[in-house]
Amino acid sequence: MKKDIIIKIENVWKTYKVGDIEVHALRGLNLEVKRGEFLAIQGPSGSGKSTAMNMVGCLDIPTKGSVHLERHNISKMPESSLAKIRGEKIGFIFQQFNLINTLSALENVTLPMIFQGIPKEERQRKAKELLEMVGLVERMYHRPTELSGGQQQRVAIARALSNDPEVILADEPTGNLDSKTGENVMNFLEKLHKEKNTTIVMVTHDAGLAKHAERIEYLKDGVIIKSKK
Amino acid sequence: MLKDILKYSTSSLRARKLRSFLTILSILIGIAAIFALISFGQGINKYMNDFGEEMGTDKIFLMPGGGLTAAPGSSNILFTEDDLEFIRKIKGIDELSGMQIISAKIKFKEYKEKYSYAIGLSTDSKEKRLIEEMLGGIEIMNGRSLKKSDTLKTVLGYSYTIPNRLFKKAISTGDRVEINDVEVQVIGFYEEIGNPGDDANIYLTQDGFQEIFDENEFEYVYIRAAPNQNPGELSDKIEEKFRKHRGQKKGEEDFTIQTFEDVLETFTNIIGILNGVLVLIALISVVVAAVNIANTMYTSILERTQEIGIMKSIGAKNEFILSIFVVESGILGLTGGTIGVILGYLIAKGGGLIAASAGLSMLRPSFPLWLTIGCLLFALLVGIGSGLLPAWQASKLKPVDALRYE
Repeated sequence: MKKDIIIKIENVWKTYKVGDIEVHALRGLNLEVKRGEFLAIQGPSGSGKSTAMNMVGCLDIPTKGSVHLERHNISKMPESSLAKIRGEKIGFIFQQFNLINTLSALENVTLPMIFQGIPKEERQRKAKELLEMVGLVERMYHRPTELSGGQQQRVAIARALSNDPEVILADEPTGNLDSKTGENVMNFLEKLHKEKNTTIVMVTHDAGLAKHAERIEYLKDGVIIKSKK
Repeated sequence: MLKDILKYSTSSLRARKLRSFLTILSILIGIAAIFALISFGQGINKYMNDFGEEMGTDKIFLMPGGGLTAAPGSSNILFTEDDLEFIRKIKGIDELSGMQIISAKIKFKEYKEKYSYAIGLSTDSKEKRLIEEMLGGIEIMNGRSLKKSDTLKTVLGYSYTIPNRLFKKAISTGDRVEINDVEVQVIGFYEEIGNPGDDANIYLTQDGFQEIFDENEFEYVYIRAAPNQNPGELSDKIEEKFRKHRGQKKGEEDFTIQTFEDVLETFTNIIGILNGVLVLIALISVVVAAVNIANTMYTSILERTQEIGIMKSIGAKNEFILSIFVVESGILGLTGGTIGVILGYLIAKGGGLIAASAGLSMLRPSFPLWLTIGCLLFALLVGIGSGLLPAWQASKLKPVDALRYE
C-alpha cells in the first residue's frame, strides 16, 4: 500500500438480511483516501453512503472484500481491536452530535483520551486547548443539553480531535443545524483541513456541502458512479 | 482508569436519581432484615452461652413425661420424697434438690390479680443454691433469702420491682401480697433472669408451698454430679436405676432425664432453626432485590444503547462498557447494603430496648464485626452479580446497531 494512502477499500460488499431477502448496501465498492485530503462522499439516501462510512470508520466489517486502514486489514479484526483503532486513528462527527448528556462539555472531550489511557493532567490540558480552539472554553462545564446545536457540534469536533486522529469522519455534520450555523461548522472544518492538513472524509446528500471538499465521489446503489476533483 | 469508571458510573446513577433510589431501597430492606435477624440470633446464642456458663456443666435434670413439652404445673406425674431419697443414694451424685412448681394467683393491694408460677424451694443452702444456679445463677438482689422458718414469707422475681410490669406499683420488701388468697410477707427479690416468665416467679419455702397449695410432691428434680463424675454417664445410670425402681420397661418411662447441657443444646438448636427460617425469608427478599437490580440495569442499558454506541465509536473497548455497568450495579448494591446495615442496626437496637423494657432482656442483639462486613460484602456481590449479565450484553452490542438505536 502506498504510503500516502490511509484508507483503501477494495471490492467491498455489505449484505443485510431482511427476513428472507438479501439487501446489498454495498456492491463492490472501491475507494482510496489519501493523507491530508478532504473527500466528500455524496449520494441520495439509500445509496449506501452510511454503510460506506461505517466501513471507513471501522464501525462495521464487510461481508466480502477488504478494508485497510494504514497497514491494518480491519475486515478481519475482532471488535476489541477495532475499538482500539477507532480510538487512536479516527475522529467521528455525527449528524446528531452524539454527545453524552450526563457529562459536561469538558468531560465529553476528555472521554476518548480516557479510553487511550492518557494521564489526567494531560487530558484536561488538551481538552481545554481544544475547547478554546472551537471557542467554547467559557462553556466547558455546561452539559450538552445546555448548549445550542452549533455549540454541541463544536464540542463534538473538539472531541473528534482529542486523540489527534489520522482521519476525521463527518456524517452529515450540518444536517441538524440551521444554514448559518452549518456554514460556520463547514468553514471550521475547512480551516482545520487547510491549517493542520487534517484528513477529512465527509458523507452527505447535499451537493452544496460537498463543494467544500477537494474531491467528491458520487455513490449510488452501493457503488461509486463518478468522481470529481 | 478505575477512578474514571467510578466517576462515570456515579454520574449516570445521579442522572437517574429516582430509579437509583428505588433500586437501593429494594436491596436495603433485605439487608436490614438479615442484619437485624442475625444480630438477634447472635445475641440469643450469647445469652444461652452465658447462661450455660453460669449453670456449669455438672447438672442433670429429671422431669415428668416426655420432657419439656408440657407446661410446668400441669403434670399428673410427680416425684415423691421417697423417689428423691432413692436417687440421692445413687453413687456419683453430689447434690440433689426437688422443685415444686404450680400456677398461682398473686394479688397486691387493690390491683388486679395476676397469675404466675409459685416455686417451692428447699431451705438447705446448698440445695437452694443448686436451683438458683439452674435459673441462671441468680442471686438475691435486695432483701434476704428464705429460711426454714419463713413459712408465710416469699421472695419474688425481678419483675415485681418494676412499676407497671405486673402491678401498677413496684412491690418492696416488707409489703404484703396474697398468694391464692393467703397473705404472705415479701422479704426479698431475685435479680433479673431475662425472660418475663421466670422473672415473675414467686418463691416459697417447701413448708409454705404445702401450706398454701396442699402439695408436697415435686415436679422437677435437679441433680449435681460429683466433681469426678461424667454427667452424661451419671444421667444414664440414674435413668436405668430409677426405671427399675418404678418397675418400668425401657422406652416406656414416665419420666425424662437429661443433662442440662443437652437441654440447653436443644433450646439453642430450636432457636437456631427459628432464626435460620427467618433469615431465609429475608434472603428471599434479597433475591427479589437482585432481580430488581438486574431489571434496572436492563432498562438503563436500553435507554443508553445509543450512548454505548457513541462510546464504542470513540474508542471504548468492551471491557470498559462491561465495567461501567458492573460498577453501577455494584454501587447500587453496596449503597443499599450500607444503608441496610445502618437501618438493621437501628431496628435491632430499638427492638432490643423494647424487648428489655418488656422483660425480655434475653433478646439483646449482638453486633459482631463479621456481621457488618459480611452484609456489606453480600450486598456488593448481589449488586455485581445481578448487573453482570445485562452489562455483558451491553458490552457485546455492535457499535453500528447501537448508534442507530432510538
